Amino acid sequence: MKFDALTEMQADALRETGSIGAGHAATALSQLVGHPVSIDVPTLEVLGVGEVPDLFGGPEVLVVGVHVRLLGDIGGSMLFMAERSSALALVDMMHARPVGTARAFSADEEALVSHVASILISAYLAAVGRLADVSLLPARASSTLDMAGAIMDAVTADAAMRADVALLLKTRFYGADTSVDSYLFFLPDPAGLGVLLGRLGVA
Amino acid sequence: MSESTEALRDLALEDEPGHVIVGVGEIACAFEPDVLITQALGSCVGVALWDPRVHVGGLAHVMLPTALGSDQSGRRHRFADIAVPALVERMVDLGAGRRRIVAKLAGGASMFRGESGTDTIGDRNVAAVRDQLERAGVPVSAADTGGSHARTIELSPGTGILLIRSYTFGMHEI
Repeated sequence: MKFDALTEMQADALRETGSIGAGHAATALSQLVGHPVSIDVPTLEVLGVGEVPDLFGGPEVLVVGVHVRLLGDIGGSMLFMAERSSALALVDMMHARPVGTARAFSADEEALVSHVASILISAYLAAVGRLADVSLLPARASSTLDMAGAIMDAVTADAAMRADVALLLKTRFYGADTSVDSYLFFLPDPAGLGVLLGRLGVA
Repeated sequence: MSESTEALRDLALEDEPGHVIVGVGEIACAFEPDVLITQALGSCVGVALWDPRVHVGGLAHVMLPTALGSDQSGRRHRFADIAVPALVERMVDLGAGRRRIVAKLAGGASMFRGESGTDTIGDRNVAAVRDQLERAGVPVSAADTGGSHARTIELSPGTGILLIRSYTFGMHEI
């Protein structure tokens, strides 16, 4: 199954699913950190897996990546990415302190961002699963801080055997007075994407 | 696409004089004083070939072990079993001696630590590249592969030195 683009209806359905997932993730994160956090998904784009590595400014840009392999009815991967500065701002937002407080991206910061990404991914998968009546199970998240191109290549190389399309949900976190942009990629295997769109009634 | 048009396409990616940038799934050759560069190798493998007499260098940025069973549209040089033989032939076309060519390798990392079992694409890429080099009779003189960090590499065709840069370990030469 090959996709060059989704129809408007398909994109709407997936964007709506993304918004529902983001809403649930925001509720979960607010509970976790004890203060309000909101999240929205301003845009959804469909990309060929080969285009994904070109999205960041340059291949050597330092980014945080959190990768989760998908199990269940739909195989594939999810990848959360944020530039290093955005990831640090996200850490500050979760701690309800001024952006700029976190300066080093050490193990604690990486663990927190990985945790936030895992919640976002789990909420998204739950929303997709509920709407499409499929079982989507995230494997354990693993993370890294390194060159954007290398992270993308590793995930797309891994997915290249199966996936040919990536859905990009630009995801924006809002704290009390700041917002942080991040990227969530959904790389379903082709059969899984077909099942998903079929179940959404828009294939 | 013919070999010559592809060579032109590769060379068109030069972004500054003397720097030949080799993108993901591409191959290119250059003579001194030009420098061959490929950026942000993760699980991908950079294959650097060099002829010490003619001082021609070649570089490939390999993404996957084999074209067999894969979707072969797009950049066919992303596959080790296509890129490595093609790069050797291009070196020979440019005057390299088939028996003089030596190889250096970098990359093949597992970018995400702790992924169980399945995150061995880097290892498989390295193994496929080594296998293809052996078939082509090209010895590997040095390698910096594996680990969990990204690498950017630069090959100087004059010296055969491969400069490796990473956020984790800084710069070193092999």
